[in-house]
Amino acid sequence: MQAIKQTSPYVRKQVSTKRMMIDVLIALIPVVVFSIYRFGWDAVIRILVSLILMIGLEALIFGMMQKVKKTDKTFKERLKTKYSTYTINNVTAPAISAIIFAMLMPSKIPVYAVAVGAIFAIVVVKMMFGGLGANIFNVAAAGRRFVSLALTGMFAGVYVGMDMVAGATPLTALKSGMGFPAVLNSYPIIDLITGNIPGTMGEISAIAILIGLIYLIIRRTADYRIVVSTFVTFTLLITLIGLKLYPAQWFEFVLYNIFSGGLLFGVAFMVTDPVTAPVTRPGRWLYGLLIGSLIVLIRTFGAYAEGVAAGLLFANMFVPLIDYAKWSTNKIRPRFVIGYVALFIIMALIVYFGVGGTVL
Amino acid sequence: MIAKTKYIPDGKKELKELPILHYLDADFLFYPVTSARCPEGETCVRGGQFVKIGEVLGTRKGAFFEQPMHSTVSGEVKGYEKSVDQSGNVVDCLIVKNDKKYNLHPSIIDRTNEEIDALTKEDFVEIVKEAGLVGLGGSAFPSYIKLQTKDKINVVIANGVECEPYLIADYSLMMNQPQEVIQGLIYAMKASGAPKGVIAIKKKYTEIRERLNFSLKQFTGHNIEVITVGNHYPQGWELDMINRAVGVKIPQGELLSKYGVLNFNVSTLQSIYNAVKKRLPVLERLFTISGNGVHNSSFRARIGTQIQELIELAGGYKDIEIPKVLILGGPMMGTNVLRDDIVMTHTSTSLIVLNEEILIEEPCIHCAACVYSCPVDIQPTQIMSAYKVKDKDALKMLEVNKCIECGLCSFVCPSKIHLTEYMRSGKRLVR
Repeated sequence: MQAIKQTSPYVRKQVSTKRMMIDVLIALIPVVVFSIYRFGWDAVIRILVSLILMIGLEALIFGMMQKVKKTDKTFKERLKTKYSTYTINNVTAPAISAIIFAMLMPSKIPVYAVAVGAIFAIVVVKMMFGGLGANIFNVAAAGRRFVSLALTGMFAGVYVGMDMVAGATPLTALKSGMGFPAVLNSYPIIDLITGNIPGTMGEISAIAILIGLIYLIIRRTADYRIVVSTFVTFTLLITLIGLKLYPAQWFEFVLYNIFSGGLLFGVAFMVTDPVTAPVTRPGRWLYGLLIGSLIVLIRTFGAYAEGVAAGLLFANMFVPLIDYAKWSTNKIRPRFVIGYVALFIIMALIVYFGVGGTVL
Repeated sequence: MIAKTKYIPDGKKELKELPILHYLDADFLFYPVTSARCPEGETCVRGGQFVKIGEVLGTRKGAFFEQPMHSTVSGEVKGYEKSVDQSGNVVDCLIVKNDKKYNLHPSIIDRTNEEIDALTKEDFVEIVKEAGLVGLGGSAFPSYIKLQTKDKINVVIANGVECEPYLIADYSLMMNQPQEVIQGLIYAMKASGAPKGVIAIKKKYTEIRERLNFSLKQFTGHNIEVITVGNHYPQGWELDMINRAVGVKIPQGELLSKYGVLNFNVSTLQSIYNAVKKRLPVLERLFTISGNGVHNSSFRARIGTQIQELIELAGGYKDIEIPKVLILGGPMMGTNVLRDDIVMTHTSTSLIVLNEEILIEEPCIHCAACVYSCPVDIQPTQIMSAYKVKDKDALKMLEVNKCIECGLCSFVCPSKIHLTEYMRSGKRLVR
């Protein structure tokens, strides 16, 4: 009998990173299926391009990051050493990023733009920071933001509706076109929920997204704290705006904002990315508050109609601050609750005065 | 899984059903001269001398206490040999050849109830000290030091939680000898002047609760209560258990007695009973051999028995070709040993033999399952990052010293990162 040296504990739980990654892929199925149903080959091609580029480039750069042993003589041996720690997670993780990234793209965008965004996301945002688990920005959101900043011109007339005729997304319509409540005539709430609107491939069907979100939360692969915190903050602040600007139709305004744009998709699949989130309970509540209020601020006062990706990236920058060793703790302390409420009130005041509120 | 993990599969059901073999046929018994707490020791017997059960063989010397060692069989002193003790170290052992007559030393006579009633606090401390009693839950902390506290004690707690998987020593003790545990608790209450006694057990052990409550009917006039606490791990950690059982919050690093609480393992209380009533030191313990790499069996064996003999008696190892991990104690916090010529000591309760499983560590994805599960509310993943860059200030700010090494962070990690080992290294770095 050969005895092995180990240190306690000697038993491990039956969970794995692999399982968590595959859970996210499963949760994405309804969204992907719906986008293929809506956009056909346009969607398939863009998803495939994104998948191939992200998985392939991650594998390539992964190999470049590893050291070879001196004893490895032939190319084959060197390759074997380099990829000895390459696991299924190096495939599933970029696959998740790739699908989410593709879902953030409009269906008629040139494939070139998808390729550029995917390459930027995986090379600069992920692998340059050290690969799996080391990136500080959400990979898909950063890729999306890069494309819309660098290739703005390509986004003209790429959003198509059910009739395959180019149109404005509900949020662009709200921002620059008709304004509220006229948009309700073109985009009834029921169409927003079922996905009968122009928009990016993933964001349009609220039902498909919610199925995925429920699966993620039941499997505990996503932390409900971030989801709840982001969603509640967003809803409350939007309600405040609705009550101030459209007192008669505030409820429709709130629903319109929730179901249009990438909010639901972002809440379900992007803010729940654990790699770029803080690691403590209070930290995650705070992180959700930041994302939620930043989305409202960008949507209401910013130049863009859509704010999920930018808000998320901005909140990512605060994660090292939230997680700073001196004050990060997993206990929900009174001072955290006070700080959370205070921050929410500040955000509410900013929004309130921003939309023209006055002190009585 | 981004969630707090509280329950771990405990595998106790199968072990509870095993018959308990009383093993008295050991030819040679080994008595370690030193132990983890006592780096020095001396013997006071010569080779060829005949000793009887309960006779003092020598003394182990610790930093601030001395601890006598007793013979658990009658027979001839043979000499010295090296063997592995509970802490996994190779130590010198005194060997006694068993004559299998089990003659008691003339000093071992029962005390009458009148004699016990007349005992003062100092007498109790002296008896416990003479018997060499230590914390049998695994700490091996000398019990008399706990008892001789000057603080006012409000409650004595018997810890019968035994939250680690695969351990059933306390369970079967409470099942089979509840009176001895209760009697020991009464003596401990008498010695410390505490008006109240509490036996803390797991909530799911309804059969134990009924058994203890039934036995308590014989002991009227004592304020003893059976309190059920949670089933989760690490409920047996004394601060968590005390908070749950009697509602006293004690900060880490403080003496329990300052808060009016004394905590003993149920096995320790039984040994107090034996020492006070029968003048016996710890002679026997229940020892379980479990795990998927060995034929499982339960034994009642004398302190000093070679565990190798018990393994052979149980049927030996399974799947010899697979490398094994040998663990003394529980699978979460136990000690790893590399040899199986282990000597049973006071704190031995179990040997677990697991077939080796090769785990591949993946990068941390910050899921924070370890942070959510940590019973002392520290952040293992951040401590790991701080340790990797040898950042002592960050380690201090993250309070790595609070870690109780319960092993939950490693247990829950989906990336199979050995976080507990990082916690230990971090503690060493800031020391």
